[in-house]
Amino acid sequence: MLESAVIMGIGLAFVLGILYHYFGKQISDELRKEATYLSQGVEEQGIEYLENIHDDDSRITYIQQDGTVLYDSQSEASEMENHSDRKEVKEALKQGVGQSSRISKTLSEKTIYFALRLSNGNVLRVSSTQYSILALVLELVQPMLWVVLLMMILAGIFASRIGQKIVEPINALDLEHPEDNQIYDEISPLLSRVYKQNRMIREQLELARQQQEEFSIITENMQEGLLIIDKYTMILSGNLSAWKLFKVRNSKIGESIYSLSRSEDFQKVISNVLSGKHEEKILKIDGRDVQIIANPVSRENETQGAVLLLMNVTEKVERENLRREFSANVSHELKTPLTSISGFAEIIEGGFVKEEDIKDFSGRIYNEAQRLISLIDDVIKISQLDEGEIPYEWSEQDLYKLSKEVFKSLEEAAKKKNVHLYISGKSIPFYTVRPILEEILYNLCDNAIKYNKNDGTVSIYLSETEQDVRISVKDTGIGIPKEDQNRIFERFYRVDKSHSKEIGGTGLGLSIVKHGVIFLGGSISVDSEEGMGTEMIVTLPRGMKKNEAEMCEKTKKMEK
Amino acid sequence: MIIMATRFERQLEELHVQLITMGSLCEKAISLSARAIQGEGKTLSRLVFDTDKEIDAKEREIETQCMSLLLHQHPVARDLRQISSALKMVSDMERIGDQAADIADLALYIDQDAVCTSVDIVGIADETVKMVTESVDAFVKKDLDLCRKVIDEDDIVDNAFNKIKEQLAELIYGGKLDAKAGLDLLMTAKYFERIGDHAVNIAEWVEYSITGEHRNNEHQAYL
Repeated sequence: MLESAVIMGIGLAFVLGILYHYFGKQISDELRKEATYLSQGVEEQGIEYLENIHDDDSRITYIQQDGTVLYDSQSEASEMENHSDRKEVKEALKQGVGQSSRISKTLSEKTIYFALRLSNGNVLRVSSTQYSILALVLELVQPMLWVVLLMMILAGIFASRIGQKIVEPINALDLEHPEDNQIYDEISPLLSRVYKQNRMIREQLELARQQQEEFSIITENMQEGLLIIDKYTMILSGNLSAWKLFKVRNSKIGESIYSLSRSEDFQKVISNVLSGKHEEKILKIDGRDVQIIANPVSRENETQGAVLLLMNVTEKVERENLRREFSANVSHELKTPLTSISGFAEIIEGGFVKEEDIKDFSGRIYNEAQRLISLIDDVIKISQLDEGEIPYEWSEQDLYKLSKEVFKSLEEAAKKKNVHLYISGKSIPFYTVRPILEEILYNLCDNAIKYNKNDGTVSIYLSETEQDVRISVKDTGIGIPKEDQNRIFERFYRVDKSHSKEIGGTGLGLSIVKHGVIFLGGSISVDSEEGMGTEMIVTLPRGMKKNEAEMCEKTKKMEK
Repeated sequence: MIIMATRFERQLEELHVQLITMGSLCEKAISLSARAIQGEGKTLSRLVFDTDKEIDAKEREIETQCMSLLLHQHPVARDLRQISSALKMVSDMERIGDQAADIADLALYIDQDAVCTSVDIVGIADETVKMVTESVDAFVKKDLDLCRKVIDEDDIVDNAFNKIKEQLAELIYGGKLDAKAGLDLLMTAKYFERIGDHAVNIAEWVEYSITGEHRNNEHQAYL
């Protein structure tokens, strides 16, 4: 704006300067002509000629040689002062012609004088007044301003029209597909830049989406629950396992983590981790043991949130408890016979036993020692099955024959309790590990006899389908109470603890059975009613080939 | 997915967290006092008193927070309901804390054997603890069904209280129970019954903050 004003000012001054100069020259030329023309009239007719002329434009003065004004067209000659000292008059008197210009006191006018010496020696002077440049400028300012205003308005209108016209197609540009637009060649570099940028953004978006997908695939497939929270305990991200662990149906992203659990321990863990401490704890959530690993996320030395890893360790904790119980039980069970042995031995050593009783005592020590040995045998078997270290050999066996052999070895015990043994079924060839299957059958039948009534029966039913074989051992014994049925496979678990000594056994039999069945890849179920009898049903998969068995073995190991 | 929240939403969420914390403090206080009355009075009463103090502090904190939200954010509609119901809920929670402390106080003097044998204080205690837990749960999960369940369960507690009252009257009349001990037991039962009422109140406010309708219609007039 300022610049245009300055330029306009300079332009105006320039034009005015040229014009002014030109007009000045024009005026002085005219004055010269007029003076020459007038001088002829005056020469011929004298002063009367001048008096007859009515010229409004220029002022005509007739001056005597000594400077006295004889006539003036605009004022009374007699009142005017002597003009001999005027520059133009002086020049005219001297050289015949004289010229000068003077600027009025107010600077607004400039007067140009032209003097001509006549033949009689008098001087005729013609003068014309011209506005000074400043006056001219002042005079011109107002119209100029109007013109400028008009120009500005017009320029505004045109500019906006043109602008619109230029911008319209640009606005209509399809920036998604910049290469398809065809308007000005001038914008094509811009369009190609847009195109490049578009492509870059698309690539980056794709990359971001891929990373996001990777992240979610990783987290969604994690067995462990993953939660990310900010420092206000709001959940930023979480995976399916986490929601499952807290038993919520849909995602709780955007809510406080306390809406998942508000137990005191949990709150403590969260507040600790948000104050920047690593936390690791096993908490009870909804009756399950959940191991929680919480790591603070810090940025610029300030905790901004936390990452929580949650693992369901219920089984692990349970297993640990079982193991602890097992070792306590084992030590107790081992101690009992040892105490007896040591007691008998002590009595004998002390000489409190009569010679004839030594035999009886030795027999007792022998029995207790046997009990101890069988117990240790069982423990070894279980731990072998547990560790999968048993030296097994897969071979073709006949179930019927095997059952018969087991019954044969239990014949004595059955006779003592007056229990009848039956096998129903036909010969079933089966590919298996003989010692393990034998152990299973032996323990099942042994229990069936031990916990039977007088004159009861034990029956083995053998049947097969295409996929598996079924071995059912049914007795007419005392049965197992409902509430104990889940626990009978636990080590050292006895339904009737008070009579265990009379019945004998180690409390490990069914545990061995269970481990054996698992080892062979099968399953076992109990169907029992108190006082009526028990049916143990073992289902073993058929065609379990050696390498498959090995696979099964390996996965079992990995699970551990 | 990462969620960006506005400042106001963040503050509302903070309020929510504070309420959850206060709710769980209430649960702790009441379940501790229920255990205190059942024979662990000497060891647990002190814990209940401490929890009560914590609850009081929390109430003031939440009130300040609510006021600041009301003044600075000018919430409307659902947000306003959430804040106003929070204000009402904290006073109910605070009462629960106070009454839990009262029970713990009685537990110091009460005859423990009397509790277990003469009347079913344990039953009413368990029922009330359950109600408080459920009302806080309803708030956390914004669960309308659970709200209604809590409101309905109040009848069970009321009936249990009436039964205890009659039994105690009979026992005292028959000279089988020391009158002083009987009164203590009656007070304890009454406190539990009141706590049940407060749990119902909380559930009603949760319901209001979700649906915009309160059971007692007179509240609508000025809210």
